[in-house]
Amino acid sequence: MKIAVLLRQVPDVVEELVIAEDARSLAEDDVMYITNEADEHALEEALVLKARHAARVTAIGVGGEEAKDALAAAIAKGADEAVFVPVPFEHRGDNHRLASVLAPSMKAAGYDLILTGVWAADQLDAGLAGLLGVRLSLPYVGGVVSVAVDAPGTKGTVRKEYPGGRLAVLEVGLPAVLGVQSAEQPPRYVPVSKVAQAKRTLQLTELTEPTVLEMGVRPTKLLKSDPISRAEMLTGDVSQVADQIVRLLRERSLV
Amino acid sequence: MTSREIVVVAEHAAGEVSDITLEMLACAREIAHTVGWHVTCLFLTDDPKPLEALPLASDQTVFVKDPALGPPNPAAYARVLPHVLKDLSARLVLLGNTSTGIDLAGPVSEALGASVVSGCVGIRSAGEQLLFTSRLCGGKLVAQTEVREGIALALVMPGSWNREAGMRDAVPPTGVRVSPVPLATLPVRFLEFVEPKMEDVDVRKVPVLIAAGRGVQSKENLANVEALAKELGGAVCATRPIVDQGWLPRTRQIGRSGMTVKPRLYLALGVSGAPEHVEGMKDSELIVAVNTDPGAPIFDIAHYGTTVDLLDLVPVLTERIKGTRGD
Repeated sequence: MKIAVLLRQVPDVVEELVIAEDARSLAEDDVMYITNEADEHALEEALVLKARHAARVTAIGVGGEEAKDALAAAIAKGADEAVFVPVPFEHRGDNHRLASVLAPSMKAAGYDLILTGVWAADQLDAGLAGLLGVRLSLPYVGGVVSVAVDAPGTKGTVRKEYPGGRLAVLEVGLPAVLGVQSAEQPPRYVPVSKVAQAKRTLQLTELTEPTVLEMGVRPTKLLKSDPISRAEMLTGDVSQVADQIVRLLRERSLV
Repeated sequence: MTSREIVVVAEHAAGEVSDITLEMLACAREIAHTVGWHVTCLFLTDDPKPLEALPLASDQTVFVKDPALGPPNPAAYARVLPHVLKDLSARLVLLGNTSTGIDLAGPVSEALGASVVSGCVGIRSAGEQLLFTSRLCGGKLVAQTEVREGIALALVMPGSWNREAGMRDAVPPTGVRVSPVPLATLPVRFLEFVEPKMEDVDVRKVPVLIAAGRGVQSKENLANVEALAKELGGAVCATRPIVDQGWLPRTRQIGRSGMTVKPRLYLALGVSGAPEHVEGMKDSELIVAVNTDPGAPIFDIAHYGTTVDLLDLVPVLTERIKGTRGD
Protein backbone atom coordinates (compact mmCIF):
# COMPACT_ATOMS: atom_id res chain seq x y z
CA MET A 1 0.00 0.00 0.00
CA LYS A 2 1.29 3.45 -0.93
CA ILE A 3 0.35 6.34 1.36
CA ALA A 4 1.07 10.00 0.69
CA VAL A 5 0.95 12.65 3.43
CA LEU A 6 0.90 16.37 2.69
CA LEU A 7 2.68 18.57 5.21
CA ARG A 8 2.09 22.33 4.92
CA GLN A 9 4.13 25.01 6.63
CA VAL A 10 1.88 27.60 8.29
CA PRO A 11 2.55 30.67 10.45
CA ASP A 12 2.94 29.78 14.13
CA VAL A 13 0.13 31.80 15.69
CA VAL A 14 1.78 31.64 19.11
CA GLU A 15 4.37 34.07 17.68
CA GLU A 16 3.72 37.72 16.91
CA LEU A 17 2.11 38.07 13.48
CA VAL A 18 3.18 41.12 11.48
CA ILE A 19 1.14 42.52 8.59
CA ALA A 20 3.20 43.39 5.49
CA GLU A 21 3.29 46.84 3.90
CA ASP A 22 0.85 45.77 1.18
CA ALA A 23 -1.72 45.40 4.03
CA ARG A 24 -2.97 42.16 2.49
CA SER A 25 -0.41 39.58 3.57
CA LEU A 26 1.90 38.71 6.44
CA ALA A 27 5.43 40.13 6.49
CA GLU A 28 7.43 37.17 5.19
CA ASP A 29 10.58 37.91 7.20
CA ASP A 30 8.69 37.91 10.49
CA VAL A 31 6.79 34.67 10.03
CA MET A 32 7.84 31.73 12.20
CA TYR A 33 6.69 28.48 10.67
CA ILE A 34 5.34 25.28 12.06
CA THR A 35 3.90 22.27 10.30
CA ASN A 36 0.13 22.61 10.14
CA GLU A 37 -1.20 20.83 13.21
CA ALA A 38 -3.81 18.74 11.42
CA ASP A 39 -1.13 17.69 8.88
CA GLU A 40 1.01 16.40 11.78
CA HIS A 41 -1.96 14.25 12.73
CA ALA A 42 -2.27 13.03 9.12
CA LEU A 43 1.39 11.94 9.27
CA GLU A 44 0.81 10.13 12.55
CA GLU A 45 -2.19 8.28 11.12
CA ALA A 46 -0.10 7.28 8.08
CA LEU A 47 2.61 5.91 10.37
CA VAL A 48 0.00 4.00 12.39
CA LEU A 49 -1.23 2.45 9.11
CA LYS A 50 2.34 1.69 8.05
CA ALA A 51 2.87 -0.32 11.23
CA ARG A 52 -0.29 -2.31 10.53
CA HIS A 53 0.02 -2.88 6.80
CA ALA A 54 3.69 -2.56 5.89
CA ALA A 55 2.77 0.47 3.81
CA ARG A 56 5.23 2.83 2.15
CA VAL A 57 4.76 6.39 3.36
CA THR A 58 5.72 9.35 1.17
CA ALA A 59 5.87 12.67 2.99
CA ILE A 60 5.24 15.65 0.71
CA GLY A 61 6.44 18.94 2.18
CA VAL A 62 4.83 22.08 0.82
CA GLY A 63 6.13 25.62 1.35
CA GLY A 64 9.54 27.26 1.63
CA GLU A 65 12.88 25.96 2.93
CA GLU A 66 11.28 25.19 6.32
CA ALA A 67 9.35 22.40 4.64
CA LYS A 68 12.64 20.50 4.36
CA ASP A 69 12.93 20.44 8.16
CA ALA A 70 9.41 19.05 8.38
CA LEU A 71 10.39 16.38 5.86
CA ALA A 72 13.50 15.46 7.86
CA ALA A 73 11.30 15.13 10.94
CA ALA A 74 8.86 12.96 8.98
CA ILE A 75 11.70 10.65 7.86
CA ALA A 76 13.01 10.49 11.44
CA LYS A 77 9.53 9.47 12.56
CA GLY A 78 9.36 6.66 10.03
CA ALA A 79 8.28 8.00 6.62
CA ASP A 80 10.05 6.27 3.73
CA GLU A 81 10.38 8.98 1.15
CA ALA A 82 10.43 12.77 1.03
CA VAL A 83 9.15 15.04 -1.72
CA PHE A 84 9.66 18.80 -1.56
CA VAL A 85 7.20 21.09 -3.31
CA PRO A 86 8.42 24.70 -3.23
CA VAL A 87 5.54 27.18 -3.17
CA PRO A 88 6.08 30.95 -3.27
CA PHE A 89 5.25 32.70 -0.01
CA GLU A 90 2.18 34.56 -1.25
CA HIS A 91 0.49 31.37 -2.44
CA ARG A 92 1.01 29.10 0.55
CA GLY A 93 -2.47 29.44 2.03
CA ASP A 94 -4.13 28.96 -1.37
CA ASN A 95 -5.43 25.41 -1.49
CA HIS A 96 -6.85 25.76 -5.01
CA ARG A 97 -3.36 26.51 -6.21
CA LEU A 98 -1.79 23.77 -4.09
CA ALA A 99 -4.27 21.24 -5.46
CA SER A 100 -3.43 22.21 -9.03
CA VAL A 101 0.31 21.98 -8.27
CA LEU A 102 0.05 18.59 -6.56
CA ALA A 103 -2.61 16.73 -8.54
CA PRO A 104 -0.62 15.79 -11.70
CA SER A 105 2.30 14.18 -9.83
CA MET A 106 0.02 12.51 -7.31
CA LYS A 107 -2.02 11.00 -10.09
CA ALA A 108 1.15 9.63 -11.70
CA ALA A 109 2.42 8.18 -8.40
CA GLY A 110 -0.76 6.13 -7.89
CA TYR A 111 -1.14 6.36 -4.12
CA ASP A 112 -3.73 4.14 -2.43
CA LEU A 113 -4.35 6.69 0.29
CA ILE A 114 -3.67 10.41 0.42
CA LEU A 115 -3.85 11.98 3.87
CA THR A 116 -3.68 15.62 4.82
CA GLY A 117 -5.05 17.86 7.53
CA VAL A 118 -8.73 18.72 7.11
CA TRP A 119 -7.85 22.39 7.51
CA ALA A 120 -4.81 24.65 7.58
CA ALA A 121 -4.38 27.52 10.02
CA ASP A 122 -3.81 30.05 7.23
CA GLN A 123 -6.38 28.85 4.71
CA LEU A 124 -9.01 31.16 3.33
CA ASP A 125 -10.51 28.86 0.73
CA ALA A 126 -11.74 25.26 0.63
CA GLY A 127 -9.94 22.31 2.22
CA LEU A 128 -7.02 20.87 0.24
CA ALA A 129 -8.13 17.25 0.61
CA GLY A 130 -11.57 17.88 -0.92
CA LEU A 131 -10.07 19.77 -3.85
CA LEU A 132 -7.54 17.00 -4.49
CA GLY A 133 -10.29 14.38 -4.37
CA VAL A 134 -12.08 16.07 -7.26
CA ARG A 135 -8.92 16.64 -9.28
CA LEU A 136 -7.82 13.02 -8.86
CA SER A 137 -11.39 11.69 -9.30
CA LEU A 138 -11.07 9.92 -5.96
CA PRO A 139 -13.55 9.61 -3.11
CA TYR A 140 -13.01 12.05 -0.27
CA VAL A 141 -14.01 12.20 3.40
CA GLY A 142 -12.96 14.96 5.80
CA GLY A 143 -13.00 15.37 9.58
CA VAL A 144 -11.46 11.92 9.95
CA VAL A 145 -10.24 10.73 13.37
CA SER A 146 -9.31 7.12 12.56
CA VAL A 147 -8.65 4.95 9.52
CA ALA A 148 -8.69 1.17 9.18
CA VAL A 149 -7.85 -0.56 5.91
CA ASP A 150 -9.00 -4.08 5.00
CA ALA A 151 -6.48 -6.86 4.22
CA PRO A 152 -6.59 -6.63 0.41
CA GLY A 153 -6.25 -2.83 0.67
CA THR A 154 -9.37 -2.14 -1.37
CA LYS A 155 -11.46 -0.33 1.18
CA GLY A 156 -11.08 1.76 4.28
CA THR A 157 -13.34 2.27 7.28
CA VAL A 158 -13.05 5.77 8.68
CA ARG A 159 -14.55 7.63 11.59
CA LYS A 160 -15.69 11.16 10.88
CA GLU A 161 -16.32 13.69 13.62
CA TYR A 162 -19.62 15.51 14.11
CA PRO A 163 -20.57 18.03 16.82
CA GLY A 164 -21.18 16.76 20.34
CA GLY A 165 -18.53 14.07 20.11
CA ARG A 166 -20.65 12.03 17.70
CA LEU A 167 -18.77 9.90 15.15
CA ALA A 168 -20.02 8.60 11.82
CA VAL A 169 -18.49 5.35 10.62
CA LEU A 170 -18.09 5.44 6.84
CA GLU A 171 -16.74 2.92 4.37
CA VAL A 172 -14.73 4.32 1.51
CA GLY A 173 -13.35 2.57 -1.56
CA LEU A 174 -9.60 2.96 -2.11
CA PRO A 175 -7.78 4.82 -3.49
CA ALA A 176 -9.15 7.78 -1.57
CA VAL A 177 -8.24 11.18 -0.17
CA LEU A 178 -8.87 11.79 3.53
CA GLY A 179 -8.92 15.08 5.42
CA VAL A 180 -7.59 14.20 8.87
CA GLN A 181 -8.86 16.05 11.93
CA SER A 182 -6.80 14.12 14.44
CA ALA A 183 -4.90 10.83 14.50
CA GLU A 184 -6.04 7.95 16.66
CA GLN A 185 -3.00 8.53 18.89
CA PRO A 186 -0.99 11.67 19.70
CA PRO A 187 1.64 12.57 17.09
CA ARG A 188 4.86 10.80 18.09
CA TYR A 189 7.82 12.66 19.46
CA VAL A 190 11.20 12.33 17.87
CA PRO A 191 14.41 13.65 19.47
CA VAL A 192 16.01 16.70 17.86
CA SER A 193 19.26 14.74 17.38
CA LYS A 194 17.44 12.18 15.27
CA VAL A 195 15.85 14.91 13.15
CA ALA A 196 19.24 16.55 12.68
CA GLN A 197 20.68 13.23 11.58
CA ALA A 198 17.81 12.67 9.15
CA LYS A 199 18.38 16.17 7.79
CA ARG A 200 22.05 15.44 7.05
CA THR A 201 21.21 12.36 5.03
CA LEU A 202 17.89 13.60 3.62
CA GLN A 203 17.25 12.63 0.01
CA LEU A 204 14.66 14.87 -1.54
CA THR A 205 12.75 14.63 -4.73
CA GLU A 206 11.88 18.16 -5.74
CA LEU A 207 8.73 18.81 -7.68
CA THR A 208 8.62 21.54 -10.30
CA GLU A 209 5.39 23.45 -10.63
CA PRO A 210 3.20 22.78 -13.64
CA THR A 211 2.79 25.79 -15.90
CA VAL A 212 -0.96 26.12 -15.69
CA LEU A 213 -2.11 26.93 -12.20
CA GLU A 214 -5.41 27.80 -10.66
CA MET A 215 -5.90 30.32 -7.94
CA GLY A 216 -8.27 30.65 -5.03
CA VAL A 217 -9.33 33.88 -3.41
CA ARG A 218 -6.78 36.30 -1.98
CA PRO A 219 -7.53 38.85 0.70
CA THR A 220 -7.77 42.45 -0.38
CA LYS A 221 -6.93 43.39 3.17
CA LEU A 222 -5.41 41.57 6.12
CA LEU A 223 -5.71 42.92 9.65
CA LYS A 224 -4.85 41.83 13.12
CA SER A 225 -7.88 41.03 15.25
CA ASP A 226 -9.11 44.02 17.19
CA PRO A 227 -6.48 44.49 19.90
CA ILE A 228 -8.99 46.14 22.22
CA SER A 229 -10.15 43.20 24.25
CA ARG A 230 -13.56 43.11 25.81
CA ALA A 231 -12.25 41.52 28.96
CA GLU A 232 -11.62 43.64 32.02
CA MET A 233 -7.99 42.88 32.83
CA LEU A 234 -7.01 41.89 36.36
CA THR A 235 -3.56 43.23 37.11
CA GLY A 236 -0.97 42.86 39.85
CA ASP A 237 1.10 39.90 40.96
CA VAL A 238 -0.17 36.34 41.19
CA SER A 239 -1.40 36.82 44.75
CA GLN A 240 -3.34 39.98 43.88
CA VAL A 241 -4.88 38.39 40.81
CA ALA A 242 -5.93 35.34 42.85
CA ASP A 243 -7.63 37.66 45.37
CA GLN A 244 -9.53 39.43 42.61
CA ILE A 245 -10.71 36.15 41.09
CA VAL A 246 -11.89 34.91 44.49
CA ARG A 247 -13.81 38.17 44.93
CA LEU A 248 -15.49 37.73 41.53
CA LEU A 249 -16.50 34.19 42.44
CA ARG A 250 -17.79 35.30 45.84
CA GLU A 251 -19.93 38.04 44.32
CA ARG A 252 -21.61 35.36 42.23
CA SER A 253 -21.84 32.83 45.07
CA LEU A 254 -19.54 30.50 43.18
CA VAL A 255 -17.42 29.84 46.28
CA MET B 1 -27.94 40.58 -15.09
CA THR B 2 -26.02 38.58 -12.54
CA SER B 3 -28.12 36.31 -10.37
CA ARG B 4 -29.13 37.60 -6.98
CA GLU B 5 -29.95 34.22 -5.57
CA ILE B 6 -28.62 33.22 -2.14
CA VAL B 7 -28.83 29.53 -1.32
CA VAL B 8 -28.44 28.41 2.27
CA VAL B 9 -27.44 24.74 2.40
CA ALA B 10 -29.24 23.61 5.53
CA GLU B 11 -27.77 21.32 8.14
CA HIS B 12 -30.23 19.16 9.98
CA ALA B 13 -30.33 15.97 11.99
CA ALA B 14 -33.19 13.77 13.17
CA GLY B 15 -35.84 16.07 11.67
CA GLU B 16 -34.51 19.23 13.32
CA VAL B 17 -32.61 22.14 11.82
CA SER B 18 -29.23 22.87 13.35
CA ASP B 19 -28.44 26.29 14.83
CA ILE B 20 -25.97 26.97 12.02
CA THR B 21 -28.84 26.74 9.51
CA LEU B 22 -30.76 29.49 11.32
CA GLU B 23 -27.60 31.57 11.64
CA MET B 24 -26.93 31.24 7.88
CA LEU B 25 -30.53 32.25 7.17
CA ALA B 26 -30.06 35.29 9.40
CA CYS B 27 -26.93 36.17 7.41
CA ALA B 28 -28.74 35.67 4.08
CA ARG B 29 -31.67 37.76 5.29
CA GLU B 30 -29.32 40.61 6.21
CA ILE B 31 -27.84 40.67 2.69
CA ALA B 32 -31.25 40.21 1.05
CA HIS B 33 -32.73 43.01 3.09
CA THR B 34 -30.20 45.54 1.89
CA VAL B 35 -30.25 44.85 -1.85
CA GLY B 36 -33.30 42.78 -2.60
CA TRP B 37 -31.76 39.39 -3.10
CA HIS B 38 -33.80 36.18 -3.04
CA VAL B 39 -33.11 33.55 -0.39
CA THR B 40 -33.61 29.81 -0.84
CA CYS B 41 -33.14 27.38 2.01
CA LEU B 42 -32.05 24.04 0.58
CA PHE B 43 -32.44 20.73 2.38
CA LEU B 44 -30.93 17.49 1.13
CA THR B 45 -32.90 14.75 2.87
CA ASP B 46 -34.72 11.45 2.61
CA ASP B 47 -37.73 12.78 4.49
CA PRO B 48 -38.92 16.42 4.16
CA LYS B 49 -42.01 15.87 6.35
CA PRO B 50 -40.71 17.00 9.77
CA LEU B 51 -39.01 20.03 8.18
CA GLU B 52 -41.79 21.30 5.89
CA ALA B 53 -43.74 23.42 8.37
CA LEU B 54 -40.77 25.40 9.73
CA PRO B 55 -41.16 29.19 9.70
CA LEU B 56 -37.72 29.77 8.20
CA ALA B 57 -36.62 33.24 7.12
CA SER B 58 -36.17 32.17 3.49
CA ASP B 59 -38.25 33.27 0.48
CA GLN B 60 -38.65 29.63 -0.44
CA THR B 61 -37.57 26.29 0.93
CA VAL B 62 -36.51 23.54 -1.46
CA PHE B 63 -36.20 19.89 -0.48
CA VAL B 64 -34.22 17.49 -2.61
CA LYS B 65 -35.43 14.06 -1.64
CA ASP B 66 -33.63 10.77 -2.09
CA PRO B 67 -33.11 7.75 0.17
CA ALA B 68 -29.33 8.19 -0.23
CA LEU B 69 -29.58 11.69 1.31
CA GLY B 70 -30.80 10.36 4.66
CA PRO B 71 -27.51 9.20 6.13
CA PRO B 72 -24.71 11.79 6.48
CA ASN B 73 -22.81 10.73 3.38
CA PRO B 74 -20.46 13.45 2.10
CA ALA B 75 -20.21 11.74 -1.30
CA ALA B 76 -23.99 11.86 -1.80
CA TYR B 77 -24.24 15.55 -0.87
CA ALA B 78 -21.23 16.44 -3.04
CA ARG B 79 -22.75 14.71 -6.06
CA VAL B 80 -26.18 16.33 -5.79
CA LEU B 81 -25.31 19.83 -4.67
CA PRO B 82 -23.62 21.28 -7.80
CA HIS B 83 -26.59 20.26 -9.98
CA VAL B 84 -29.14 21.77 -7.62
CA LEU B 85 -27.17 25.00 -7.17
CA LYS B 86 -26.96 25.37 -10.94
CA ASP B 87 -30.71 24.79 -11.30
CA LEU B 88 -31.35 27.46 -8.68
CA SER B 89 -28.96 29.92 -10.43
CA ALA B 90 -27.16 30.47 -7.13
CA ARG B 91 -24.80 33.43 -6.92
CA LEU B 92 -23.97 33.12 -3.23
CA VAL B 93 -24.00 29.76 -1.47
CA LEU B 94 -23.82 29.62 2.31
CA LEU B 95 -22.37 26.49 3.93
CA GLY B 96 -21.55 26.00 7.59
CA ASN B 97 -17.87 26.23 8.55
CA THR B 98 -18.58 22.81 10.07
CA SER B 99 -17.74 19.16 9.63
CA THR B 100 -20.49 18.97 6.96
CA GLY B 101 -19.81 22.25 5.16
CA ILE B 102 -16.02 21.94 5.02
CA ASP B 103 -16.42 18.61 3.19
CA LEU B 104 -18.64 20.13 0.52
CA ALA B 105 -16.72 23.30 -0.27
CA GLY B 106 -13.95 21.67 -2.31
CA PRO B 107 -16.07 19.36 -4.47
CA VAL B 108 -18.74 22.00 -5.12
CA SER B 109 -16.14 24.66 -5.87
CA GLU B 110 -14.43 22.43 -8.45
CA ALA B 111 -17.71 21.35 -10.04
CA LEU B 112 -19.03 24.91 -10.44
CA GLY B 113 -15.79 26.85 -10.74
CA ALA B 114 -16.91 28.77 -7.66
CA SER B 115 -14.74 30.90 -5.39
CA VAL B 116 -14.62 29.75 -1.76
CA VAL B 117 -14.21 31.99 1.27
CA SER B 118 -13.97 30.18 4.60
CA GLY B 119 -14.23 31.34 8.22
CA CYS B 120 -16.81 34.04 7.35
CA VAL B 121 -17.99 36.29 10.18
CA GLY B 122 -19.31 39.05 7.92
CA ILE B 123 -20.78 39.10 4.40
CA ARG B 124 -22.24 42.00 2.45
CA SER B 125 -22.86 43.02 -1.10
CA ALA B 126 -21.87 46.19 -2.92
CA GLY B 127 -23.54 46.22 -6.32
CA GLU B 128 -22.50 42.99 -8.04
CA GLN B 129 -19.60 42.48 -5.67
CA LEU B 130 -19.66 40.30 -2.61
CA LEU B 131 -17.48 41.32 0.32
CA PHE B 132 -16.41 38.85 2.98
CA THR B 133 -14.78 39.19 6.38
CA SER B 134 -13.11 36.03 7.70
CA ARG B 135 -11.08 34.96 10.66
CA LEU B 136 -7.95 32.88 10.21
CA CYS B 137 -4.77 31.86 12.02
CA GLY B 138 -6.63 30.84 15.17
CA GLY B 139 -8.71 34.01 15.14
CA LYS B 140 -5.63 36.26 15.33
CA LEU B 141 -6.09 37.65 11.82
CA VAL B 142 -9.03 39.12 9.97
CA ALA B 143 -9.08 38.92 6.17
CA GLN B 144 -11.28 40.94 3.85
CA THR B 145 -12.03 39.37 0.49
CA GLU B 146 -13.97 40.40 -2.61
CA VAL B 147 -15.64 38.19 -5.16
CA ARG B 148 -16.49 40.38 -8.13
CA GLU B 149 -18.20 37.86 -10.36
CA GLY B 150 -19.20 34.23 -10.56
CA ILE B 151 -20.50 31.95 -7.85
CA ALA B 152 -19.18 32.40 -4.33
CA LEU B 153 -19.29 29.74 -1.63
CA ALA B 154 -19.02 31.11 1.87
CA LEU B 155 -18.27 28.93 4.89
CA VAL B 156 -20.09 30.67 7.74
CA MET B 157 -18.56 30.57 11.22
CA PRO B 158 -21.04 29.22 13.76
CA GLY B 159 -22.16 31.81 16.29
CA SER B 160 -21.60 34.81 13.99
CA TRP B 161 -25.28 35.65 13.38
CA ASN B 162 -28.25 35.66 15.67
CA ARG B 163 -30.19 32.44 15.10
CA GLU B 164 -33.52 34.03 16.10
CA ALA B 165 -33.31 36.14 12.94
CA GLY B 166 -33.29 32.90 10.92
CA MET B 167 -36.96 32.33 11.74
CA ARG B 168 -40.08 34.42 11.18
CA ASP B 169 -43.82 34.12 11.70
CA ALA B 170 -44.88 32.54 8.42
CA VAL B 171 -43.85 29.35 6.62
CA PRO B 172 -42.29 30.17 3.23
CA PRO B 173 -43.46 28.35 0.07
CA THR B 174 -41.89 24.91 -0.11
CA GLY B 175 -41.16 22.56 -2.98
CA VAL B 176 -39.94 18.98 -3.10
CA ARG B 177 -37.72 17.77 -5.94
CA VAL B 178 -36.18 14.43 -6.75
CA SER B 179 -32.42 14.16 -7.00
CA PRO B 180 -31.23 15.40 -10.41
CA VAL B 181 -28.55 12.69 -10.47
CA PRO B 182 -28.68 8.97 -9.63
CA LEU B 183 -27.27 8.17 -6.18
CA ALA B 184 -27.49 4.40 -6.22
CA THR B 185 -23.74 3.83 -6.45
CA LEU B 186 -21.56 6.00 -4.26
CA PRO B 187 -17.87 5.63 -3.39
CA VAL B 188 -18.64 6.26 0.30
CA ARG B 189 -21.10 4.27 2.40
CA PHE B 190 -22.49 5.29 5.79
CA LEU B 191 -22.37 2.42 8.26
CA GLU B 192 -23.41 3.79 11.65
CA PHE B 193 -23.17 6.54 14.22
CA VAL B 194 -21.10 6.01 17.34
CA GLU B 195 -22.42 8.13 20.20
CA PRO B 196 -19.94 9.45 22.78
CA LYS B 197 -19.71 7.42 25.95
CA MET B 198 -20.15 9.61 29.00
CA GLU B 199 -17.43 7.92 31.01
CA ASP B 200 -17.44 10.03 34.12
CA VAL B 201 -18.56 13.64 33.84
CA ASP B 202 -21.06 15.25 31.47
CA VAL B 203 -19.44 18.68 31.10
CA ARG B 204 -22.70 20.07 29.69
CA LYS B 205 -24.29 19.68 33.10
CA VAL B 206 -21.52 21.02 35.33
CA PRO B 207 -21.99 24.65 36.52
CA VAL B 208 -18.27 25.31 37.07
CA LEU B 209 -15.81 24.39 34.33
CA ILE B 210 -12.06 24.83 34.42
CA ALA B 211 -10.75 24.64 30.87
CA ALA B 212 -7.24 23.44 30.20
CA GLY B 213 -5.61 24.74 27.02
CA ARG B 214 -2.22 24.27 25.43
CA GLY B 215 -0.70 26.64 28.01
CA VAL B 216 -1.09 23.91 30.65
CA GLN B 217 1.90 22.31 28.89
CA SER B 218 2.03 18.89 30.54
CA LYS B 219 -0.03 16.12 32.02
CA GLU B 220 1.68 16.75 35.36
CA ASN B 221 0.45 20.36 35.41
CA LEU B 222 -3.03 19.11 34.66
CA ALA B 223 -3.09 17.53 38.14
CA ASN B 224 -2.95 21.04 39.65
CA VAL B 225 -5.82 22.12 37.44
CA GLU B 226 -7.80 19.07 38.63
CA ALA B 227 -7.10 20.08 42.23
CA LEU B 228 -8.44 23.59 41.56
CA ALA B 229 -11.57 22.17 39.91
CA LYS B 230 -12.13 19.95 42.94
CA GLU B 231 -11.94 22.92 45.30
CA LEU B 232 -14.48 24.78 43.17
CA GLY B 233 -16.78 21.78 42.98
CA GLY B 234 -16.39 21.80 39.21
CA ALA B 235 -14.87 19.72 36.45
CA VAL B 236 -11.96 20.07 34.05
CA CYS B 237 -12.67 20.38 30.36
CA ALA B 238 -10.21 21.09 27.57
CA THR B 239 -9.35 22.32 24.11
CA ARG B 240 -8.61 19.89 21.31
CA PRO B 241 -4.78 19.73 21.67
CA ILE B 242 -5.10 18.54 25.28
CA VAL B 243 -7.57 15.83 24.30
CA ASP B 244 -5.49 14.85 21.25
CA GLN B 245 -2.58 14.26 23.63
CA GLY B 246 -4.75 11.75 25.43
CA TRP B 247 -4.59 13.69 28.73
CA LEU B 248 -8.38 13.88 29.01
CA PRO B 249 -11.19 11.86 27.39
CA ARG B 250 -12.83 13.13 24.18
CA THR B 251 -16.05 13.81 26.12
CA ARG B 252 -14.29 16.71 27.90
CA GLN B 253 -13.50 18.54 24.65
CA ILE B 254 -15.26 21.87 24.20
CA GLY B 255 -15.82 23.38 20.77
CA ARG B 256 -16.88 22.72 17.22
CA SER B 257 -16.38 18.98 17.24
CA GLY B 258 -16.81 18.60 20.97
CA MET B 259 -19.37 19.80 23.48
CA THR B 260 -21.21 23.10 23.69
CA VAL B 261 -21.46 24.35 27.27
CA LYS B 262 -23.01 27.28 29.15
CA PRO B 263 -21.72 26.97 32.71
CA ARG B 264 -22.03 29.64 35.41
CA LEU B 265 -18.21 29.90 35.45
CA TYR B 266 -15.77 29.10 32.66
CA LEU B 267 -12.21 29.58 33.86
CA ALA B 268 -10.02 29.30 30.75
CA LEU B 269 -6.41 28.40 31.61
CA GLY B 270 -3.85 28.74 28.82
CA VAL B 271 -6.62 28.74 26.22
CA SER B 272 -5.82 30.89 23.16
CA GLY B 273 -9.43 31.27 22.08
CA ALA B 274 -9.34 29.80 18.57
CA PRO B 275 -12.75 30.22 16.91
CA GLU B 276 -13.44 26.47 16.88
CA HIS B 277 -13.08 26.38 20.67
CA VAL B 278 -14.94 29.64 21.36
CA GLU B 279 -17.95 28.26 19.48
CA GLY B 280 -18.51 25.78 22.29
CA MET B 281 -18.23 28.09 25.33
CA LYS B 282 -18.99 31.69 24.36
CA ASP B 283 -22.40 31.68 26.04
CA SER B 284 -20.97 30.88 29.48
CA GLU B 285 -22.31 33.22 32.18
CA LEU B 286 -18.90 34.29 33.51
CA ILE B 287 -15.70 33.77 31.52
CA VAL B 288 -12.36 34.39 33.23
CA ALA B 289 -9.30 33.88 31.01
CA VAL B 290 -5.70 33.35 32.08
CA ASN B 291 -3.15 33.60 29.28
CA THR B 292 0.34 35.10 29.18
CA ASP B 293 -0.28 36.35 25.61
CA PRO B 294 -2.13 39.68 25.88
CA GLY B 295 -3.09 39.33 22.20
CA ALA B 296 -4.84 35.99 22.72
CA PRO B 297 -8.31 36.09 21.12
CA ILE B 298 -9.82 34.55 24.29
CA PHE B 299 -9.70 38.05 25.81
CA ASP B 300 -12.15 39.22 23.13
CA ILE B 301 -14.90 37.09 24.62
CA ALA B 302 -13.83 36.77 28.27
CA HIS B 303 -15.44 39.03 30.87
CA TYR B 304 -12.27 39.14 32.96
CA GLY B 305 -8.72 38.33 31.98
CA THR B 306 -5.20 38.21 33.34
CA THR B 307 -1.78 37.67 31.80
CA VAL B 308 -0.11 36.12 34.86
CA ASP B 309 1.31 32.63 34.32
CA LEU B 310 -1.35 30.03 34.99
CA LEU B 311 1.24 27.65 36.39
CA ASP B 312 1.97 30.18 39.16
CA LEU B 313 -1.65 31.22 39.61
CA VAL B 314 -3.36 27.84 39.90
CA PRO B 315 -1.75 26.65 43.17
CA VAL B 316 -2.22 30.08 44.80
CA LEU B 317 -5.84 30.29 43.69
CA THR B 318 -6.50 26.75 44.93
CA GLU B 319 -5.16 27.67 48.37
CA ARG B 320 -7.21 30.90 48.48
CA ILE B 321 -10.41 29.03 47.67
CA LYS B 322 -9.60 26.42 50.28
CA GLY B 323 -9.21 29.36 52.68
CA THR B 324 -12.67 30.72 51.94
CA ARG B 325 -14.15 27.55 53.44
CA GLY B 326 -13.17 28.59 56.92
CA ASP B 327 -14.86 32.02 56.60
